[in-house]
Amino acid sequence: MRGRPLLYTSYASDMGLFNTGAKKAAFAVLMALGLTTPFLLADVELQLLALACATAIGAIGLNLVTGYAGQVSLGHAFFIAVGAYTAAAISGDPESRTLGFGIDNMLIWLPAAGIAAGLAGVIVAPLATRLRGLYLAIVTLGLVFVGEYILTEWDALTGGPGIGRQAASPALFGYHLDETDVFMTRDQKLYLLMFTLLVVFGLAGRNLARSRVGRAFSAIRDRDIAAGVIGVNLPRYKTIAFAVSSFFAGIAGALIYTISGRFDPGQFGLLLSVQFIAMILIGGAGTITGAVLGAFFLTLLPRFTRELPGLVPFIGGQATDTPNVFQLETVLYGVLIIIFLIFEPRGLFGIWVRIRNYWKAWPFSY
Amino acid sequence: MRQAAEAVIRGLGLGSIYALLALGFVIIYKATRVISFAQPAFMLAGAVLVTYLVGPLGFYLAVPVAAAATAALALGVERAAVRPMVGRPAFVVAIITLGVDVAVRVVVNAFIGLDVRHVGDPWGLSTVTIGGLLVEQRHLAMMVVTAVLVAALFAFFRYTRMGLAMRAASYDQEAALAQGVSVGAVFAMSWGIAGALAGIAGTFAAVGASVHQLLWIIALTALPVIILGGLDSLPGAVVGGLIVGIVQEVTAVYQSNWPWLGQNFSIVTPYVVMMIILLVRPYGLFGTREVERV
Amino acid sequence: MKRLGTITTVTVLVLSGALAGCRGADNNTGGGGSAAAVPGVTSEPCPQAVDKTKGCIYLGTISDLTEGPFKALAVPITESQKAFWARVNKNGGIGKYEVDVTTYVKDNKYKADVHNQVYQEIKGKVLALAQTLGSPTTAAIIDDLRKEKIVAVPASWTSAWAFQDVILESGANYCVESMNAMDYAKEKYSPTSVMAVHYPGDYGADAAAGVKYAAEKLGMKFTAVQTGTGAETQAAAIQAILTQKPSLVIVTTGPAETAAIVGGTAARGFTGRFIGTSPTWNPGLITSPAKDALIGLYEQSAPWNSWATDSPGHKAMREALSSIDVPNDGYTAGWVWSYPLKAALQKAVEANQLTRDGLLNAAKSLTTVDYEGMLPSGAGNYAGGADGGQFRMTAIYKPDAAGPTKVSQVKDLFVGPTAKDFKLTQPCFQSL
Repeated sequence: MRGRPLLYTSYASDMGLFNTGAKKAAFAVLMALGLTTPFLLADVELQLLALACATAIGAIGLNLVTGYAGQVSLGHAFFIAVGAYTAAAISGDPESRTLGFGIDNMLIWLPAAGIAAGLAGVIVAPLATRLRGLYLAIVTLGLVFVGEYILTEWDALTGGPGIGRQAASPALFGYHLDETDVFMTRDQKLYLLMFTLLVVFGLAGRNLARSRVGRAFSAIRDRDIAAGVIGVNLPRYKTIAFAVSSFFAGIAGALIYTISGRFDPGQFGLLLSVQFIAMILIGGAGTITGAVLGAFFLTLLPRFTRELPGLVPFIGGQATDTPNVFQLETVLYGVLIIIFLIFEPRGLFGIWVRIRNYWKAWPFSY
Repeated sequence: MRQAAEAVIRGLGLGSIYALLALGFVIIYKATRVISFAQPAFMLAGAVLVTYLVGPLGFYLAVPVAAAATAALALGVERAAVRPMVGRPAFVVAIITLGVDVAVRVVVNAFIGLDVRHVGDPWGLSTVTIGGLLVEQRHLAMMVVTAVLVAALFAFFRYTRMGLAMRAASYDQEAALAQGVSVGAVFAMSWGIAGALAGIAGTFAAVGASVHQLLWIIALTALPVIILGGLDSLPGAVVGGLIVGIVQEVTAVYQSNWPWLGQNFSIVTPYVVMMIILLVRPYGLFGTREVERV
Repeated sequence: MKRLGTITTVTVLVLSGALAGCRGADNNTGGGGSAAAVPGVTSEPCPQAVDKTKGCIYLGTISDLTEGPFKALAVPITESQKAFWARVNKNGGIGKYEVDVTTYVKDNKYKADVHNQVYQEIKGKVLALAQTLGSPTTAAIIDDLRKEKIVAVPASWTSAWAFQDVILESGANYCVESMNAMDYAKEKYSPTSVMAVHYPGDYGADAAAGVKYAAEKLGMKFTAVQTGTGAETQAAAIQAILTQKPSLVIVTTGPAETAAIVGGTAARGFTGRFIGTSPTWNPGLITSPAKDALIGLYEQSAPWNSWATDSPGHKAMREALSSIDVPNDGYTAGWVWSYPLKAALQKAVEANQLTRDGLLNAAKSLTTVDYEGMLPSGAGNYAGGADGGQFRMTAIYKPDAAGPTKVSQVKDLFVGPTAKDFKLTQPCFQSL
């Protein structure tokens, strides 16, 4: 009903994806903004935004398993690596030193990357479902180290650390999305691709969260034994959580490295996992929007911290001074993350909720 | 056979370092229920402090002084970054300690500078022959120091008031508060002890080698050690450290027999051992089984 | 819902139509195509110009300045290059221009994606890159460098650079350096077997491939052991050396790892010889626990003579860098690497072709570069192609507590017979 946004007259409309007018309008505005950005910004920024979109897909995946289902997973980097190498191997050049099958149609390697990572998640799940809390976190961390070791030794697939290999090249039935042509530049095309896929997977994630599976996840997070008591099959739903999150991670892995074009096995270590955890904690665990906000924040942050020291005159500009701008950039990244976690535990989404509530109650907001 | 025995002794030496680091993690966990990812930074800080103090003070005096200084650093970190976080979910606090780790390491790296620095220990790489086995003196030193420290910790927890207070707080914080234990002092003490242990472990990791930026990665191996020993078990940390050290060194000797494992398999053996043990005992070898109530 | 969908689509179409023109006018993504402005060249003086009437050429530097594994070398290289170009400016600059290498210095944290991002940020503002450190990192931007015709100076000696026109490498590559080390060892120690202990990638694998080739030619048994970074993770390599007992070990790692390997094996009774490539030595190792083992068993192969050498170039470098406390050969490397870029800039300015195209053509056509005595004449032959233009000389050094960088020369720059006959047809590390 118009004017009474919170009055739902049917179950379907209560559980709907866009159940309020505000959500519909916001979605429309974001779509419009996202689709016109390639014509407004320069290539450098578009590349960064494309990277942020692809990373956000991975962050949504991690949020599903850690934020919604409560299973702390530090092993995200492993599943991203599985997805990235599956995609690279399928679309790689058969003539090159590294493994490649030459099928560069995106409709084949993208789902394959997701499915391969999802299968890895299913294989890991039996160990993971037996463990809880910090034990689970550190075992998944062990997965990352074992995975890193395998990638370092498996030269034929990865090219070896320090050399690396070509990433997957996105092409749709012969139309190359990573080459500049008369209509659009490479970065514009990649950005539109990533943005579209982010919208698709964001909606998929939201849909999962509001479905029966999503409700089971929330029950497991809140009190898993009580969830078991009321009939939620714990091993089954924990496995689903790992499988879905790994699927998203595989897709993200396949996409992230198509932007820079080359990657090397040393990139899939503890640091990558921690970055994703930081993304969902800063963005707001347990919400899809939070995951996307966190991903954008952490991807764009280094760009801003690189510019910032130029404005601070007493920090030396040479690498031999102490302190110098490069140290400041590294420390700033860590310090901003800490400040965020201290002062806004619900993350960026929490800030958004505060702003929204302020304006909802305006002019009586106090 | 001789090779295996020598590998076991090297493993005991390496395992002593892991045991010291793991003890630090476990002490903090028992007191505050949080895993502190800042231990690698304290390890590096301790080692770097020793390289600066060994000139004026000599090795045997520099190590305790550096350990005390690292304990003070850990106290400062706890007061500034962790105390305000009391009550937050453990995972958020762990990420905060990770941020602290990054920040402290940047500062310590600035002190390492560009040169390779040394801790100036008296053992270096010299060896001694015991019963037909070639044993490096530094491994013997590591084992002795660890044994002394573990005994000292045991005595501390058993016979002192503060140790009793820490044990009480690790069982139940509210009950301990009700009995007059200052839980804040317990938190501070646990971080201080952990910092000192990490500093000593870092110094001994650099004995016979050098102090460089990547020394902190050794501390990451302490994570599977605490898991396989049990997160809240001090004996588990020591036993786990020794087991992991021995397995790592023995694998290094014999891994060339199985080339399909790759050339550096001994590096991932801690994680493999951890996963195998967790399949059988989900709470580690000596960890207390968590009782979950609805 | 349908109405909202219609509104959205119409908005998108209208906005994109209206704004399609904006982007083209805002930014010039073609890469220096317009005749008016060449990126990185201005007629205003440099920020710290010596002569304020001259214009400025901006060069970019992307290096590992904070937390990567090569910081200990990268920071001296960068400082040395700043001193080099400051000296060039003091001596009159290049034609009507002075050169600035301080404004666009970026840190890559030794990660390929960070390297790519910072490169994209400075790309439009510099004429060429005075330094791009790291092989996987440079490989991430090499396609763009070729497309935009941006000349770049690398900070490594891998053989892959010989096949890239835009990269101005100097000195013998690791492959050839190992062959010369093998020839030297054969002459002096007559080894029967050799083991290559190496990092993976186009640093270590390059040298190991050279060792393999030389072992075949000289009739020695060859094995290779790949190892990782970190002095604590060398247990497998140490064990391999002690089990297989080669008479010669060629080490291609970093200094801490070298000390661990040489010291660890010597402590357990190993008496074979070690020769390490130039990045394996750091002056601090002379006071390390492994020093006796290093002095007794280790020698260093080097692409050019070290800091204390008496040559016009070395003297100028020591004068320009007189303020540093502890010299190391990172400074020497940064200084020597800058000469080809200076020669190319001079040629381009003289031909009045100071554009990216012009600079690349000038670089490609160089048949010799004046290294002021740091490398002999005949070095810097970029026009000779990958195989013909290769510089094949190596010097050998041993640890020595006297002397500023704690090494003293054993053999001056020489070409061994193996390296002389070697034909470079593909990057060496691909044939390991």
